[in-house]
Parts: sequence; structure tokens; C-alpha cells
Amino acid sequence: MTATPGIDIRYVRVDYGNFIAVDDLTLSVPQGEILGLAGPNGAGKTSTFRVLATLMEPTYGEVILGGIDVQEDVETARQIIGYMPDLAPVPSDLKVGEFLEFYAAAYGLGNRTQRRDRVAECLEEVALTAVRDRWCKELSRGQTQRVVLAKTLLHRPSVLILDEPASGLDPLARRDLRQALRKLADHGATVLVSSHILSELAEMCTSLCVMNQGKLLASGTIDQVREQLDRDERMLTIRLLDRHHDAVAWLTTQDSVHDIRVSEQVIHLRFVGSDNDQANLIEILIKRGIRMLSFEEKRSSFEEMLVEVAEANCQL
Amino acid sequence: MITEKQPIKFVRIELLKIWINPIFRRYCQSRLRFRGLGLALLVSLLISGFIFFISRAIGLDRMHASVSDAARGAIIPLFIFQALILFVLGTAQVSGGMTAETDEGVIVYQRLIPMRPISKVLGYLFGLPIREYAMFFVTLPFTICALWQGMVSPSVWVPLYVVFFSSSLTYHLTGLVTGTVVKNRRWAFLISIGLVFCLYTIVPQMARFGLVFFKYLTITPVFQESLSGILPTAAGAIVATGQNLAPEAKFFNLGFPEAVFTIFCQGGLILTFITMLCRRWSKAEFLLLGKVWATCVFAFVQILLLGNAIPLIDSGNIFPSREISKLILESTGWVPKASEAVAMSGVYGLVTLLLLFMLTRIITPSTDNQIREWRRVRKLGGSALPVLADASSAFGWIIVMALLGASGWYIFTQSLVESRWFSGHDVSLTVLMIFILVMISSGMAFHALLETKGGRALGMAIIFIGIVPLMVGVVLSTSNDRLIPAAVWIVGISPISAPVYASASLLSISELPLNLARSVPRAFCFWQLVSLFVSFYLVAQLRRSRKIIAKNALPKPP
Repeated sequence: MTATPGIDIRYVRVDYGNFIAVDDLTLSVPQGEILGLAGPNGAGKTSTFRVLATLMEPTYGEVILGGIDVQEDVETARQIIGYMPDLAPVPSDLKVGEFLEFYAAAYGLGNRTQRRDRVAECLEEVALTAVRDRWCKELSRGQTQRVVLAKTLLHRPSVLILDEPASGLDPLARRDLRQALRKLADHGATVLVSSHILSELAEMCTSLCVMNQGKLLASGTIDQVREQLDRDERMLTIRLLDRHHDAVAWLTTQDSVHDIRVSEQVIHLRFVGSDNDQANLIEILIKRGIRMLSFEEKRSSFEEMLVEVAEANCQL
Repeated sequence: MITEKQPIKFVRIELLKIWINPIFRRYCQSRLRFRGLGLALLVSLLISGFIFFISRAIGLDRMHASVSDAARGAIIPLFIFQALILFVLGTAQVSGGMTAETDEGVIVYQRLIPMRPISKVLGYLFGLPIREYAMFFVTLPFTICALWQGMVSPSVWVPLYVVFFSSSLTYHLTGLVTGTVVKNRRWAFLISIGLVFCLYTIVPQMARFGLVFFKYLTITPVFQESLSGILPTAAGAIVATGQNLAPEAKFFNLGFPEAVFTIFCQGGLILTFITMLCRRWSKAEFLLLGKVWATCVFAFVQILLLGNAIPLIDSGNIFPSREISKLILESTGWVPKASEAVAMSGVYGLVTLLLLFMLTRIITPSTDNQIREWRRVRKLGGSALPVLADASSAFGWIIVMALLGASGWYIFTQSLVESRWFSGHDVSLTVLMIFILVMISSGMAFHALLETKGGRALGMAIIFIGIVPLMVGVVLSTSNDRLIPAAVWIVGISPISAPVYASASLLSISELPLNLARSVPRAFCFWQLVSLFVSFYLVAQLRRSRKIIAKNALPKPP
């Protein structure tokens, strides 16, 4: 028997009038996993999160969190959800401790002492014990994010939905957040984190998925996503000892070679093909008697891949 | 550590223990901080103290009145000051605060809190204006002193303050609903304050046209009833003489104390507002009211309108000219004019139609609602939408409301025309049929247009079909008398004019001037015919659109 997935999204579609924000999204996240959801602005991440957080009903499809169909039993589902929205609101007229105690009371967490203890625990978890008596409006962006994270953790949710939690955090705070999420996942919580910065997600997640224009483009482990997104395109730099005219003449006849630029004995080109094709290219150049001093390959970073995919989709 | 322990068990917050309601406590914390509160309390204390002592000084030292009369002189100014605090400042704070919460996303966020929606409503209702309540309580020692020294009977001030409190709740709930529905903070503030302002300025004018019920949404009737008991003795005696004419609220054959009837009317409104808020806060996609509730609200208002108006017909107190005749002491030989009755019938029809539009707007489902509900029904193996679901057709309910409205309008018109004031006249059943036609055609067109084309198209139709013809007609008729028939035809385009045209065309007591006598009935018939065809066309479109939605709304995306 397989374990119930922490998050199970089936054929979800979200329409705003005629605009399709999320299109046929199907995704399953096992318990104890941290899934990163990446994509450019307007990819449909926030709409997906709002559906998962029960703040919005999908036009189609269903969402099952910890075995609970959120559309059929929203109240129970809400008890296991911890949702942290992007740019989460914090009241300017309350102190940090008061803000957290308000939510602890609203969740009905024990008596006053128990609530205070729980607030202290959560503040400690996000390393903000020192700001308990400060006004929420006096906090920096990063501190605000952490206070909201503390608020999200108050009722010990088993499904955490965090929309851009790392935005505004300094490297130290990001490291703390990473550790906190790992700890939560180790204890069985399912975490879904969004960001438009893939490298940031790669650091903190056990698996990734990439969305663009409402569609799921890639999903799996970090390497699998890289493989799915990789359009077999890289920049090659070849430094020759001589006969660069012959080399250029032959390279221009190759379908896999584009955008050739030559400066002195150095050839820059864009290569589209598999690793095998690239090895063949080098072999043929050598066989043709062209002597190479060096050969350098530069692949796209995660971010560049995302930009390329987004641009390619826009052109479609 | 965070997940080392078992998930926390949630404890339900007890509804009636408002003092442990987290939202209430949150606002107590933020709005009762000494820094902001201190100044507000000081101002309240100074103003109420000033009112009390100046009234007392004027009474005792200048007018040489008794201690009791001098103290009574302070009651009304203090009451007005308290009304300003709770009605104006409180309502503004509630609507502004609510919109701020909506604006900043707090409301959406708080939907996730496992508190019952009703607890949230109560938390906001009493929490947001908590500073205004504190300001009100600061004025109370002076009020109590004035009531004590003025020897005002509890039978006078208890009903007054009970209705004062229920009116505050009504206005604060208006602010909450406005703040929840209206997205823009400034608009929400202006609309809620505007509504309270209208209640005390425009609504009393509607009461003069037979729609007496509306005045019970204000504190005015109870305040007027209490006047004789809270004014200084001599002034109170004069007021008491006038009050003997209408000592109680009439409801069909029953008579109620004004306070009881006011609380009854406001109670209905309070319940409706709370239902709206609970629905909206439990699920963003919910319509503000369910179909049954909306129909009941419509019927409730109709019954109250009729129940209050009909008993006043025989005495003549329902007619606007009666009020004027009393003022100029010419009540002997007074008879109502036929044109008054025709206008009153038209206004009744118009208000009914506007109420029908408002409730239709509330219960008409959006396309997204329908798709979601169809998907859910299909998933559960069903083949039709549940009758009472938000997404199911509101068509039948609108027809029911239209029938209720037309019947209410007919009963009111019949009671007026067949009263002792216009003997020899009657209102035939044909009039009822035509009233039904007016209500159904306008209601159907409004509903079908809203559901098939959306709010924007409806808004444009309201402007260009509902309002612009009225404006053009008014301009034409004002500029030249010869253009009046043309203006009548243009104004007739607007469905808003239909009830007034219907009353003017169909009632035997109607005495239209010569230049209107031909054009009004003809314009009415022509535009009703057009309206009927348009309604049928739109309803056909609506049926087609619903069928397409039902067909395409599969459990999985197409």
C-alpha cells in the first residue's frame, strides 16, 4: 500500500474570465518532501497556491491535502494547512508578540500560557525572539517574512504552502529558513515553496517543478528538471593554433552550429545538439587537421534556462 | 520543535463570550492604547461635560428653570453628540477598517483561521469601533446625571437607548458589508457614511410618499416618541399633545410601540447583513445571499411596506399633503389630491423594482460559479445542479419576487385608489396583470443580461438605457413645453420609469395634463412591448448559455 501523498493536485485549472491562469496541472508531493515551484511572474504559481490554501476554488480539478479533498471538507483541510502568502500582511498597529498571540488565540491553541509558550517556540524557530516586543511596522522586509513564517507554523501544520518565503531574506536568514524547512520535512511535513529564482529553490528543495503560462513544464529531482529544461544548447569557444578560415568554413555547413563569431584565432559559436553530437564535432575538426589549443563549453544556468523557456513559450 | 508534537487540537471560540473573541481582543489591544485613546476620551469628556454644564447653567441661571428642566435641557444635545460618535465615527471606522483589512489581504488570510464566520463578524462588529464605544461610555456619566436630575422615566430612556444601540449595530453592519464588498477604501468609507446620511435625509422623504417602513431604519420614530419625556416640562407637554395623534407604530390592524417595531425592522436587516458577511467570509465564491433568504428579504420588505402604509390611508396620514396641511393648520376640509395617490403608487412600484434589481444582482450566479458547481455535481455522479445552490438558476426565484412585488404594488395601489378618499374608483385585475408584466419583464432582462454578459455589460445598460434617457428627457422637457411629448417617449426607454408610467396610465384617478394624457400611455405600452421582446430574447440567450456551460463543464479540463 502506498502512503497518502501530502499534496495531490489533479487536473487543476483556474480561469479568470477568459484568461487561463493554471492549465491542467497535475502534481503529487509525497509526505516529508520539499517541493519547489518555480516560474516567471504570471506563471500561475500564486493562483496554484491560493487554490491549495483553500482561498480559491479551482475552475476544474481537485486538490487533496493529506488525504482530505479541500473542496469537500474545507474546514478540516484548513487545520492542516499553513499558508504564507507573498507579501503577507502584518498589522501596523500591533507588536510582534501581540500579532502572533492573536493568531494563536484565533486557532484556539490552549490557554494563555500555552499560547505564549507556543509563540516563543515559533519565534525561536525563525530566530526572532528578540523582536517580540517590537512593532510589526518597524520590522525589515526579511524580519516581516520570518514573523509571518512563525505565524504560519503556530498550529503545527502538516502541509506548508510558502509563497516566495525567501524574498527579502539575507543569506544568513535564508540559511536559517532552509534549515527550518528541512527540519519540518524531516518530521513529516510536506512543504511547497515557490520562487522565481530557481537556484534559490535548488538550495532548499528536494524536488522541483517549473511552471510557465499556467502549464507545468518540468518536474522531478533537480537533475531531472535540468534535463527536461535543457534545450541541448550551449556556447562553445574554440581556440585554434592555425587554419581558422578552414574551420569556420566547415562549421558554417553544420546544422547544429549557429551564430559563429571569430576574433583572431578564437571561434565563438552556439551549439544545439546532444553531448554525442558535440564529441563528434570535435573529432571531425581534429580529423580535418585543425589544431586546437583549447575547447570550452558554457551551459545555461537554471535562471537562463527559465528565461529561455519563458521566452520560447511567449513566442509560441 | 515544531512537528515533534502531534498536530494541535483546535478549540472552538465560544460565540457569546465576546471578551475572549480573538478579533475583538486584537482591536481592544490596538485601538485602546493609551496614546490614541487618551486624546479621544479627553475630547469626549470635555465636549459632553461642556454640553451638560452649559445647558444646566442656561436653564438654572438664565431661564430660571427648575433643576429638573435644566437637566433635561442637556439630554438632547448629549444624545446628538453620542449619535455622532457611534453613528458617524463608528460607522466610518468600521467601513474604513474593514476595507483596510480587505485591501491589505488580511480578510482573505483570516479565512484560513478555524473561527466560525459568525465569531469573526461579532469580533469585527464590536472590535473595530471599540474606541468609539469607549468615547460613548465617557459621555454616559453626564447623560445618567441629566436623566437622574431630569427625573426622566426609564420607560422613556430605556427604549430610546435600546434603539440607539440597535441603530448603531445596523449602521456598523452596513459599514462592514460595504467594507467587505467595495474594494476601494475611500469608496467604502463614502458609501457607508452616505448611506447613514441618506437614512436621515432622503429616506424620511420616502416615508412621506407612503413608504413608512423606511423611517424605522432610523432612530427618528423612537426619538420623536421619547421627545415629550426628555424635553423640559413645558416643551414636552406641547410635543405630547401632537403625539396623541399617532402614539404607536401601525402594522395592518395591530399597534406596536415605536421602539418594538423599530427593533423588529432593524433586527431583520441586522440578520440579513450578518448572513451576508458569514457567507462571504466562509467562502469567497459564495453569493452574498442564498436564493431563499433573498426571496424572504423581499417578502419581508413588502409585508412591512404594506403593513405600515395601509393603516394610514383611512386617516389620510399617508398623504404628503396631509403633513403640510397640519403644519399650516388647514386640516379642516383637507382631501388628498388624486395626483398624490398616483405618484405614491408609482414610487411604490419604483422602490419595489429597485429592490428586485438589487436582490437579483445578489443572487445571480457567475459563469465561474456555474462551471465549478457543475464540475462538482458531475464528480459526485449527479446530473443537475441542486435547486438551492448558488450556481443554480435564479430565474424562478426572480419570477417569484417579481410576482410578490407586483402583488404588493397592486395591493398598495388598490388600497389607495379604492379608499374613502376616491370613492367610485377601483383598480381592476388587468392592472395587476400589467404590474406583473412590468416587474417580470424588467427583472428577467436585468437577470439575463447580468448572467450572460456580466456586470460590465449590465453597468453600461444601466447607464445608457436606465439613466441617460431620464436625463435627456428631463433636459428636453425643461427646455421647451412643446418637447414634453418627445421627452415622455425618451424617458419611457428607461425601465425605471415604467412603474410611474404604469400608475399614471392605468389608474382611473390619474388626471394627466393634456400634453401628457396621450403620450404617457402610448409610450408606456410601446416600451413595455419592446421590453417584453428584449426580455424574451435575453432569456433565450440565457438558456443557451446555461446549456453550453452545463455541456462543457466536465470534471476534467476540456
